[in-house]
Amino acid sequence: MKTFIYLVDHLFIMIIHVDIVTVTSYILAVISAIIVGFILKLPLIPERPIRDSWTISIIFPTIIIALGLSAMVFELGWSGMVVGTVIGILSAFISKYLLEKILPPHTGMIGGESGE
Amino acid sequence: MNEILGIIIAAVLCWLNFVLIDTWMGLPEKPGVKGADVIGRDVKKRGGNLSGGFFQGNIVCSPDASAGTLLGAIACYTIGIPAGGFVAALLVFIGNRLCADPGYAGTTGAITIMIIIALASFIGIPPEQFVVGMLLAIVTIQGLDHPRASKLLGKIAKKMGRYTELT
Repeated sequence: MKTFIYLVDHLFIMIIHVDIVTVTSYILAVISAIIVGFILKLPLIPERPIRDSWTISIIFPTIIIALGLSAMVFELGWSGMVVGTVIGILSAFISKYLLEKILPPHTGMIGGESGE
Repeated sequence: MNEILGIIIAAVLCWLNFVLIDTWMGLPEKPGVKGADVIGRDVKKRGGNLSGGFFQGNIVCSPDASAGTLLGAIACYTIGIPAGGFVAALLVFIGNRLCADPGYAGTTGAITIMIIIALASFIGIPPEQFVVGMLLAIVTIQGLDHPRASKLLGKIAKKMGRYTELT
């Protein structure tokens, strides 16, 4: 019983460790990424079938980049709603202009014939 | 909760998380890279299932939901929830793109395991038990018996409409 209370207590602290400012910062990062994504004319979702699509869109991967970068920057010590918003804007620009240059889409099968 | 029981529950949750997401994302349908094709055909030659073999080959050759689940659990253990899940999703996405994979399975796996870990914490299963659980889950697919595991994966693929059309 003691162990159980300790665990629940410990983990409960782990979950509520995320305070309201951090949650708002993540939400702002996502919202700013979506807005700038629309301004930069990124598609909202990739074309179907989505699982085979390499199209860079707002839902994927812009939001993943926004959340991942925000988490990294927040954990490094810079936090706050302004930082979240800036990361969101930056993520949309990365998706639009940088991502395909540093991580180009895959064409055909590596080392042989096409897998299609 | 008892540690052993926690690890067993975590292993089952991890297994379901990565097998269902990977199958849904079409891993058994076709090999993404040449290596996955070679592994899939070799598993078939040893009496296994081609679709399940492609699944096994694909998770060896690129970080899919299995890697997302493991990295998500490790990141949640080291830096907490939700930051760990988000960092893991981004890192798996970069790894996916480097390995000729669009990255849907890996990132989905990392995000879903973060949610599962957050929910499981209420019944007393900490993230470190998910790390051990995921290792056990991946051993059942890759470490014990390739042909038998591939047959099970092939059956799941057929049920979910992701069976390969290749022969």
